[in-house]
Formats: sequence, C-alpha cells, structure tokens
Amino acid sequence: MEIFRNLWRRKLRSTLTVTGIVMGIFALTTMGAMAEHFDALLDGGMAYYGSNIQVTDANASIASGFGGYMSLSTLARIERVPGVAAATPFANESADPGALSVVNMGIPDFISSIDPNLDRYSPLKITLARGRWVTDASRGEVDLGSAFALEFHLQVGDSIALPVRPADAQPDFVNHRFTVAGILDPTLTAPDSAAYVSLHDAQMLVGDSLPSGLAGHVDPYQIISGVAVYAKPGVNLDALAERINAAVPTVEAIKPSTLVGAMKSGAAVFTVITTATALLALIIGGLSVVNTMLMSVTERVREIGLKKAIGARTRHILTEFIAEAALMGLIGGVVGYLLGLALTTVLDAGGGTGALFLVTPGLTALAIGFAVALGAAAGLLPAVRAARLDPVAALRAQ
Amino acid sequence: MPAMRLEGLTKHYTRASQVIRALDGISLEIEQGEFVAVVGRSGSGKTSMLDCAGLLMRPTAGRVLLDGVDTGALSERGRAELRSRRIGFIFQEFNLLPTLSAMENVLLPLRYSGADPRAGRRRAEQLLEEMGLGGRTSHRPAELSGGQQQRVAIARSLIGEPTLVLGDEPMGEVDTETAEMLLALMRRIHRESRVTFLIVTHDLDLAAKTDRIIHLRDGHLAGDDRTECGIAPVAAARAATPALAGRS
Repeated sequence: MEIFRNLWRRKLRSTLTVTGIVMGIFALTTMGAMAEHFDALLDGGMAYYGSNIQVTDANASIASGFGGYMSLSTLARIERVPGVAAATPFANESADPGALSVVNMGIPDFISSIDPNLDRYSPLKITLARGRWVTDASRGEVDLGSAFALEFHLQVGDSIALPVRPADAQPDFVNHRFTVAGILDPTLTAPDSAAYVSLHDAQMLVGDSLPSGLAGHVDPYQIISGVAVYAKPGVNLDALAERINAAVPTVEAIKPSTLVGAMKSGAAVFTVITTATALLALIIGGLSVVNTMLMSVTERVREIGLKKAIGARTRHILTEFIAEAALMGLIGGVVGYLLGLALTTVLDAGGGTGALFLVTPGLTALAIGFAVALGAAAGLLPAVRAARLDPVAALRAQ
Repeated sequence: MPAMRLEGLTKHYTRASQVIRALDGISLEIEQGEFVAVVGRSGSGKTSMLDCAGLLMRPTAGRVLLDGVDTGALSERGRAELRSRRIGFIFQEFNLLPTLSAMENVLLPLRYSGADPRAGRRRAEQLLEEMGLGGRTSHRPAELSGGQQQRVAIARSLIGEPTLVLGDEPMGEVDTETAEMLLALMRRIHRESRVTFLIVTHDLDLAAKTDRIIHLRDGHLAGDDRTECGIAPVAAARAATPALAGRS
C-alpha cells in the first residue's frame, strides 16, 4: 500500500512517467501483434512450402502469383521423376479482384483447387469447422477459409458468386455461383483466405480469366497453374527439385529451401520491427522512470535515513524503491497492453480483409513482463543510490 | 553489565581541510534502566555521541559496547540488525512518514525486524492508547499536532521492545508545556518498562528531571551528575511530573 501512496503523492509526475511506459508498451503490443500475425502466416507458409515442391511453367514464377499456366499433360512427366510420391495439379485464381490493394498486409482472398494429398503429406493440416469437404467430383461447391467466410458473412448452405465482381468490372467479366459446402477451422495462415473448389471448377474459373487472345483457343480443362509435388520418405526435396528441372525442361521446380529462406527473412524483418519497438519503449519509458525515481530519492532522503536508522538494511531499501519503479512499469504495461489490444481488436473487426493482428498469450506476457522488468531495471540505479545513503547525513538533510 | 559503555570515543571530521574534533576521547558507562540526559552547547558533540552510540556512525577511534557487545566488530548488516532489535530512536523533527497513518508509522520498524505483524499490531494499538492517541490511529501525520506526532514517534521507538531508547532533542520542536508532557510520558514508560533512555537536550530544566546529566563541552566530558531524580528516582519523578503523581 505504501508504494501506491508514494506514487499517488506525486500524481502528475507519476502519471507522466506511466504515460511514457503506456506509449512504449502500446507500440510494442500493436507492432508485436502484427509481427505475431505474420509469424503465424509465415509459419504456415513454411510448413506448407517446406513439405512440397511447387512446380510451375518455366516462364512463370511463383512470386508472380496468378497468371502462369502450364499444360496438364506435363503432370505425367513430373510424376515419373524418381522420388516423387504424389503430384497434385492445382489451379489458382484471385477470389476478390476488386479488393486488391497496395497496402493489403494480409493474404488476398484466393480461389484454389483442393489438394487431396495435403493431409497425407504436409505438416500443414486443414480441418473442417462445419459442413463437408469439396471433392474432385464436386461442381459448384466451395469450402471457405474462416476469414473468407467471416468477411462475406457466409454460412454452410449460403451461396456466393466467384470471383467476387469488382466495382469496376469489365463488360466481359464472368463469375459463377457456388454453394458453401463447408467452412474451415482457422489456421492463422493462407488457407483462412481461401475458397477451395474442385480442380474442374478452378480450371473453369482460370479459363474465364484467360486473356482474350487465348480464350477460345485452349481447353481450360487442360491447363493448370502448377503442380505440388510430394516426395517419397527420405528423398531430399531440393535434390528432387533439381531432378524435376533436369527431366522436364518446360517447368520450373522451385527448391523448398529457397521459398522457406525467403519467408524466414520476412519473419526476421518483423522480429527487427518488434525489437526496435521494444527498444523505443525501453528508451522512452526507462529514462522517465529513472528520472522520476531519482527525483523521488532526492525528495525522500530523510525518509530513507529514518528507515536505515530504525533497522532497514540495504536490501530493504533496494526492494522498496525497485518495487515502486516496477509498479509504475506494471501500471504502464497493463494500460499500454489494454490500449494496444483495444486498437488491434477494433482494426481487425473493421479491416474487411481479415485479421492483421494476432495477440497471443506469449505477446501478453512479453508486453506486461517487459514493462515490469523495464520499471524494475530503471529503478535499480535510483534504488542503489538510496540504499547507499549515509543514515546520519540522510536524517539531517534539509 | 552496563547497558552502554563508551571507551575513548573519538570522532573527527575533516571540513575544508580542517579537522573538527566532535568527540575527543569520551569514556562513560550507562547502567541498565537509567534515564540520562546529555547536555551541552551547540557543537559540544552531543549529537555525534548519540549517532555513535546508536550505531548510525562509526567512531574515528574508541569503542561502543552495547550490553557488552563490541559494536565496532559488527558489519553494517549486523549494526542494522542490532539497531532494529535493541535500539529505539526519537528525533527532534519526529521523522514520521507522511504517507503512513499513525498506526503504520508505529509499525514501520517491525517491517525490517521481521517480527510477527499481528502481535506487533496489538502492541502498536496498546502503545498508541498509552500515548493518548487511541482514537487517532488512522490519522496521517499532517492531521496531528506536533506533540501528537512526537508521541507517535515515541510509540514507534518502543514497538520493537528495545533495551535502549535514544532521543535527539525530542522536545526541541514543541512548546514548553508539550515538552514537559512528553518528558513525563517518557519517564512513565521508563518507570514501567525500565528501558534505558539517553536523551540529548539543550534545556537544562528538562534535563534536571532525568536521573543523570552528562555535560559535554568541545567533544570532552565536562561533567556527569546525578540529579535529585536520580538519587530517589521514583519519588522525584512523581514530584517532577504531578500529572503522574497518582500512578505507581
């Protein structure tokens, strides 16, 4: 109680100091939540891309997203490469072309053919929350990722026209009505933004989006966006990718290590952002705590002298001052964290294109724990100064 | 065994390259249960003697023995523990913590001695009652008069059941009437508990109401007299403090 009263005794100063910590922890929480979101996204990406080889047309790059086409006939040549356990052809298309934005920081909504081999070969597991799976034989049915379903307020049995018609749709824009067969559990990664249809339906949608020069000249059911190749147990994926490239010159098999490496460097950027924010909090909050506590020691010299005279030992004085500084850290940490939580919740709810933030228990513990540790550490120097005071000089200080 | 024994107690300070001889070889003994006043002019060494005796300051030379223990050999931690267990302090300016209530101020020393807080609380209530502050236990120092604050400080000095209470001008900040009352209060406690009191004062009239007066001059012992109270302590105390005449 005494430490609360000591803080309350200097309301304005304590409030200003706590505000510094609030700002730091608020920034740490929001930036940290964004980093956590991307980490989860990238973890999922690494789990998926680390477990298979993405094979696309030699002239299209995986990084270019949609628009690369290859012939379905290539599939058989890929399947024959030694070491290949399974190869899933896939077709991808943008689900909501009108929503594409340069500032979109999540995964844009996409339509993809369902991969029947995923569950067997990939550590990234997708599970149904409600409804049933779309199969190869399905027509006009879709399984929606959790964020996708939430964004368009869809339930099992509802229908949606895919791709979603953009506001500035061209006159030749075509879409098709799909019935929601199932809704997936959240994965915190790409499948949350997905609309999974059968390969046949995905090929139909890709065919609709073909440039006018190609449309009508090719059979959409003979083209695919790419192939996901799964290896037999014990086969090195990078080596298998090289073998595919050598055996099938018209395709490009991307080494999983290249994709995972790119994602890891993406994750590293966010780690740097979070660390930089934490450092900012450290500087703003820490220095103001040091200043406040030093002033407090100066003002309370006689009190410290008295406590030492009546038997307080060095550790008692240290503990009391560090506890006071840590309490400021705790108050600032809790308030800053709650403000950050409120902001991320509001932004996520109103963002439209799915979650941008992820506040994990780890982040909560980090934000509040960091604030308390910061306060305590910043209180150390003033506390040592207080504990070292000579009781006689302190008692008679004016 | 004397409660306190000072042997050749010397304290020199250096200020602006000048050596100040605050205490210069003082030797004396104070017996258990004595009520002693230390008098002397400003700069005579009274406070330095009290600071050394209270283990707040180490002497330049000489020894301080409390209940036979040579305190010079103790570490700072050991000295703090001894202060906490054996010594009560009363200061001129009360030195109460402004954020704590009267009760919490009285209990403060127990925080550092590790005593049982519940038993301590009962004793604090009893002490405040004895100080005539039974109805003001939750008041903050700012809500109390000077005399009341010093009574809280006296209760604080006694909470740890010390064997020695040291007072540095404890009546220095209050009017004459309150000073008389505070001294009477201390004498009553002394009579009932037989705690040894060593009080620094510049007021010879108040000093005359103690058992023994130690005179200091320029850091030397200039006199050591038994007062009338000291010769016949109880009777003299009764005479000196009429308010307590009815008590035994």
